[in-house]
Order: sequence, then C-alpha cells, then structure tokens
Amino acid sequence: MIQRHIFGHVFALEALIAAGVFVVVLALLVYALLRRRAGRQATASRRTERPRLEAYYVAVLTAFGVFLVAWTAWQNHREHHTAERPPVRVDVSSFQWCWTFSYPQAPQRRSASGTCRGDDLPTLVVPTGRPVKLRLTSRDVIHSLWVPELRYKMDAFPDHVNSFTLTLDREGRWMGKCAEFCGLRHHTMHFWIKAVSPEEYHRFLQGQQGGGGQGAAA
Amino acid sequence: MTVAPPTAKEGTGGRPVPPSGWLAWVTSTDHKRIGVLTIATSLVLFLVMGTFALTMRAQLAQPEQHLVSTELYNQLFTIHGSGMIYMVVTPFAIGMGVYLVPLQIGAPGIAIPRLTLLGYWLYALGALVMLAGFATPGGAHADGWFSYPPMADSVHSPGAGSDLWIAGVFLATTGTIVMGWAVLWTGLRKRTHGMTMLRLPVFSWSMIATCLMVIGAFPALLAALGLLAVGRANPAIFEANVWNIGYQHLFWFYGHPVVYVMFFPYLAAVSEVLAVFSGRRFFGYRGTVLSLLVFAGLSMSVWGHHMFATGQATNDYYSLTSIALLVPAGVEYFAMIGTILGGRLRLGPPMLFALAFIPQFLIGGLTGIMLGTPVIDYHVTDSYFVVAHLHYVLFAGSAFGLFAAVYFWFPKVTGVMLGDRAGRLHFWLLVIGTNVTFLPMFALGYLGMPRRVSAYASFEGFGWLNLLSSVGAAFLAASVLVFAVNVLWTLRRRTLGSAERAPDDPWGGHTLEWATTSPPPRLNFTPDHPVPPVTSFAPLLDQRQRREEGAAAGDGSRP
Amino acid sequence: MKRHLSVLVVAGWGLLNGVLLAVLAVYGESAMVFWLWGGVVVLLELAAVAVLASSRLGPDQHVRYRVPDRAAGAVVPAAFGFLLVALAFVYGAWLLALAGPLLLVAVALAVRGTTAREE
Repeated sequence: MIQRHIFGHVFALEALIAAGVFVVVLALLVYALLRRRAGRQATASRRTERPRLEAYYVAVLTAFGVFLVAWTAWQNHREHHTAERPPVRVDVSSFQWCWTFSYPQAPQRRSASGTCRGDDLPTLVVPTGRPVKLRLTSRDVIHSLWVPELRYKMDAFPDHVNSFTLTLDREGRWMGKCAEFCGLRHHTMHFWIKAVSPEEYHRFLQGQQGGGGQGAAA
Repeated sequence: MTVAPPTAKEGTGGRPVPPSGWLAWVTSTDHKRIGVLTIATSLVLFLVMGTFALTMRAQLAQPEQHLVSTELYNQLFTIHGSGMIYMVVTPFAIGMGVYLVPLQIGAPGIAIPRLTLLGYWLYALGALVMLAGFATPGGAHADGWFSYPPMADSVHSPGAGSDLWIAGVFLATTGTIVMGWAVLWTGLRKRTHGMTMLRLPVFSWSMIATCLMVIGAFPALLAALGLLAVGRANPAIFEANVWNIGYQHLFWFYGHPVVYVMFFPYLAAVSEVLAVFSGRRFFGYRGTVLSLLVFAGLSMSVWGHHMFATGQATNDYYSLTSIALLVPAGVEYFAMIGTILGGRLRLGPPMLFALAFIPQFLIGGLTGIMLGTPVIDYHVTDSYFVVAHLHYVLFAGSAFGLFAAVYFWFPKVTGVMLGDRAGRLHFWLLVIGTNVTFLPMFALGYLGMPRRVSAYASFEGFGWLNLLSSVGAAFLAASVLVFAVNVLWTLRRRTLGSAERAPDDPWGGHTLEWATTSPPPRLNFTPDHPVPPVTSFAPLLDQRQRREEGAAAGDGSRP
Repeated sequence: MKRHLSVLVVAGWGLLNGVLLAVLAVYGESAMVFWLWGGVVVLLELAAVAVLASSRLGPDQHVRYRVPDRAAGAVVPAAFGFLLVALAFVYGAWLLALAGPLLLVAVALAVRGTTAREE
C-alpha cells in the first residue's frame, strides 16, 4: 500500500502548510478589517511598494517551491519504483460498462468479469505482501481504475497499455470505481478488489473458488 | 498641462438611427455597447447554467435519486460546465476588457471595432447553437466540457447534439479570440498621451496578460475541436491512441490557460476595488505587473497536470511548473494584502465581494498546489475533490470578482447606483451558499466519490455531505435571485427616472474611466470631460493628492 | 526601450514560452507537443513583429485618434453566414448554399461601407 502511505505523508504535509498559509492570510485580513476601517480614523498609507521586503518574500517562496517540487517528485518516483521480485501480473480490460480481470500466470487461463449491474460486480483478487502489476487497457473508450482506499488511480486507454504496481499488506476487500466519464452507466461501473493470503491466492489460481465471485471477505 | 482631447470620427454617411433603437445596438462599433452586449449575454447564460446546476444538486441531494434521467443528467453537467467556461466566465472577462480597457487608457474607442462586434455575434450565436442541442431528438452533448475521444466520437456519442456542441463552442471561441486580439491591440497601441505601459492600470495590465493567453492558447481549442469533428466523420481515427492522447494535449493546452483567462481579469477587478476602497494606491504595482506576466507564461506550461493519471505525460515537468505558480500567485497576494493593511477601508458592496475573494480564492489556489502534486492528484483527480477545487477557483474566486466588478462599475456603465442593501444581502447569501455548497465536496472526493455520476449508492456514505452541499446550492439560488432582482429593479427604476443618479466618480476612483461621465459619452471623453493628465497608474488619485497638497501648501503659506 | 515596451512585452512573453518549452525538451514529451507549443511561440513572435511594425509607423501614445465605424452593417450578416457554415458541419453541406450568398451580402455591405449611424 505504498501509494496510500506516500499519499498520506504528502497530503498531510501539504494540507498542514495550506492550513498555515490560510490562517496567516485570514489573520491579516481580519486585522485589516478590525484596525483599518474608515470608521476607526485610520489614514491610508502613501507607501507604494516595499521592494526589499517583497524580494525577501519572493526568495522564501521560491526556496519553498524548490523544496516542494523536489520532495514531491522524489515521493512520486519512490511510489513508482519497481520492485525487484517478479510481480504477480493481472491484466485489466475495461469496457462500457464493466471490467474484466485476467490472470495470465494461472495454469489455465482465468478471468473474472461481470455486468456491473446491481450486485454483479467483478472481483480483482490479489495476494498480500507481493507486488502486483496491473496492466490496464480498454476495449472502447477511456476509463480510469480508481481504488479510493489505495489512494491511486490510473486511466485505461484503448490501443494502449498502462501499468502500475501495487502491494497490499493486509487482507481485505475494497471497492474500486471508474473515474473517467464513460457514458450512460459510468456511475455504476464498480468492482471489488480483494486481497487474500498468498496460499489462498495460489488456490484461487489453481481454479478452486478461494476468492472470486461475490464471497464476502474479512 | 493640458492634453488635447481625442478627435474624432470620420464622416460615415450611414443610415441614421436613434441610439436606443435595436439597429443601433446590433450594429454599434462603440466598444461600450459591445462590452455591455457581451456582459449581458453572459449574465443571462449564467442564470441558465445555474438552473442546470440546481437540477443536478437536487438530484444528488439524496442517494439513488432519479429526478432526471441519467441521459439528461449527463447533458446537464456537460452543458453546465461548457456553458460556464466557454460562454459565461470567459466572455464576461473579455467583455469587461472590451468595455474598460479603452476607457482606462484614455482612448475614444477600441481597435478593430467591427471585428470586435463580429466576435460578440459569433459568441452569442455559438452559445445558442450549443444550447440548441437540447432540442434535438438525442438531446444535447453529454461528455463533459473536455469531451475526450473516443467517448465523444460518433460511435459512442451519436446524435446531432454533440455536433452542435462542437459547432457552438467553435463559433464562440472564435469570437472570443477576435475580441481578445482587439483588447490586446487596444492596450498595446491605443494608449493616450502620457499613458506609458508602466502607467497602465492593474486591470488593463491583467487584460494584456489575459489576451496574450487568449491568442496563444485558444487556437489549440479550435484545433482540438477540428480533430473531434474529423473524428466524428471518421471514427477510425480514434482507434489510434496517438490521437486520443493528442486530443488531450491539444485540449488542455487551451484548457489550463483558460483557467487564468477566467481568473486574471477578476483578480484585477478585485485589485482595483481593494485599492479604491482602501483609499490608497494599489500596493506593489511593479511586482504585480511582472508577476501577472510570469504567471501567464507559466500557465502555458502546466496543462499536463490534467493528465497525470493518463500514464502518458511527463509528470515531473508539469508538477514543477504547476508548483512554480505559487511564486507569482504569492506576489499577487502580497500586493492585495499589502493594499488593505495600509488602507482606510470602506466596506461598500464591491469591497465586500473583493475582500471575500481573498480567503476564498486562496482555498482554490492552495488545493491547486495539491492537485499539481502527482502523488496527491492520482487519488483526487476526476473526483469531487477536483469539482470542489475548480468551483473554489471559479465560483468562490472569479464569480466573487465578477460581482465585485458588477457593483463597482455598474454606476459607470448605467449611470445609476445599484441597490446597496440588496447588494449586502446578495453578498452574505453568496458567502454562505458558496462555502456550504463547495466545502463538503472536498471531503466527498477524498472519500471516493467520482465526478460526473448521476447517482450514488446509499451504502457509500456520501448522503449527508451531498445533502449539505445541495442545501448550500439553495442559498446560492436565493442569492443570485436577489442579485437579478436588484439589477432588474434598478434598471426599471432608471427607465422610470426614479433611480439614484450616479455621479461621475461615486467611489473616489483611481483610473481614467472615473474622469468621464456616467455613462460615458460615445467617444468616452469630451472637451467638458477631458482625459486628465496621466501621471501614474492612478491618475485621479494623483490629481486628488495634488489638490490636497496644494490646499495644504496654500494654508501653510498664509500668515 | 521605453518606447518599445509594448513590443518587448509580447516578444518577451513569447520568449518565456520558448524557455519553458526548452525546459520541457530536457524532460522529454511527445513530438506533437513540440510542434504545438513551438508553433505558438512562433505565432507570439509574429504578433510581436506586428506590434513592432505598428509602433514604428505610429506614436506610442496618441493625442489624435481615428475612430473607424464604417461598414458595421456587414457584421450581422457575416456572423449569420459563419453560423450557417458551422451548421453545415452538423446538417450537411447544402447549408453552404445559403451561407455563401449571405457572406457575399456581408462583403457587399462592407465594401459599400453601409452602417447605422447613431444620432
């Protein structure tokens, strides 16, 4: 769940800074409103600019910008760092309006799909503790695979394969969604992602009903 | 020092018509009439797009609710977004430029007036064409304001509504580009005696930066629409990824700069209001001018941050340039805050909207930095977080600037004062409505609600936040209603002759438009109301200060 | 330099675009983007040349203005002509048969200098 962890760190830091900036600006605004009202006999300053202060301020902003760019770019690369271990592969094919998940490493070709109508949602089964590489494409229009709990999404294009790697460190079942508007049933184009133990995943690949279907999970 | 009044008008020998007749309006080359036509058209469309938004908020107020069909819902969000961006906020901004820039630079007219008028007509007709989609059997276009192929091609979006959308947006954008050229050329080449570039008011500078973006970036939208049109004739084109991703590049190359086109003029209107209602010169003028130009330049380079999740963009670069925007944005905030900190604040209705702009736009700006950070963007893009962000920028920001501008310049444009108490009611309802509507959307997006969904399941837990947001939308509706009634009532009373007459300079303005009559005469300045000496970017303030100093010196010299 | 500040603004702004484009080249991006943005930089520099030409021909600041208002009568027919051209894309090329004459009328009005004159 490296995406979730990195998102958490970066979001927390940026939200904190944003809150700080907001509070400072609001405080200055309130100060001006309280102390500089015409009714309080304030007189308007004739000062037109303060270039030196502004220069320092720009320098601070620039330094902060440089830090933010460098640090977030580093976090982005950390997030997309490919693991050494050979990943589990899952091919994801999106279409109007549902998903097909295929497991090319299974002894017999396994895939799960559905209609995304009512409860008929396909389930993407992945093992915990191992990197899983999703290869993402589309059969018609652009879709986007989003698992809010994992804090990550990626678009699925026709005539193009996008891939990303995720590692789930605990068992569970979460909902995934289509995030790119794709037509009439875009709003119901959901799926389940289910993380199971490596043993159970092995059984699942062998064709025993370990995790597919609608089975409730932890 | 005296300045020779601008002269005058070659003999035309056209057919004489009364100035208030319809023919005088539809053929006028008076920049003020073209500006008023543009602004009025966009305000009418603003009401239409607002009713679409209210319908959507009604639908989303409860889970699994279907007041309107999904088909219609998809059309509503598409036309709401397209309408607000292509037909309301952008044209209003350019329309302000058409009206104000010639006045602020002391010119009697705008450059290329006939083409400017043509620009207005293309815009107005384009808006009608887009809306005409609702009258077609398949309904209006339904693929969002950015309409990516292949979803927008003729296989996945059949029907004339989508073609009409392309035709309408193409016409309107062509009109906007023409008007942009006119305003740019006016600011650069039609300045009056003494009006050097570094004495241009902040608003005129913002229009120059804005129009540079218009001429640089807007043609890319025409290219994108052209690509879409070709692809609708031959959908095989969008079987190739290169054109799908190519469309996104073309579109966002326009689609990000347009955000600043919808921001700078309003920011500058707010700056003018802040300076005038603080009773002092706008603080940090040179820094602001430079930052506007740098901001506009950077805005051309950030489009790829809309494509972080495509896996096909150079995310590091777009993140670099997006985050770099905080420097020029910070400079502008420095100037705005600096202005009010040293001011003597009068809280008239324009000032209320301008003051609220500062913290509210800041929320949009700060969340913009987050969206410019790829690791955050991956999660929140295409979710309600983005919807919240863009409405904080465009509604809590630009729309507040828009209303500040309306209250500020209404007396100049119409010659009568706009109702003050209704203005205050409008303001407070708008502040409540804006924040109650859009703040919950940040949480909704974070929690996993995608944008452009016509319904959501009850177990997802989005119910009460959506309800809150819809309640806020009701406040917005009430507030805009107050505004509309206020404007119409004031105009009605003007016709009856019972409205409060506006003096030439009701607020103690700084810039040249306040030196002429309200409303200004056909050629803006007359021998009775000549262009005053232009000694800085705030010539009327200079004049007042000279007079005060003269009076003080006169007192001092007396025994 | 002060006299040509308007030229400098446009040219400099185009150049800033060029610099940012050069930085993008370091990072790398698809070829289409370079054509697109490169074309825009060229367009902006052409605009700067136009401003330069204009400011060499006339003063930077004006005391006397010429306010053209001839032929505004052509604008509305022209706009409706373009509307029909755009609608031809939706409803078929036959609309061009209507657009053509309308645009010709607009041209005729423009040439004759027809306008409404406010009194």
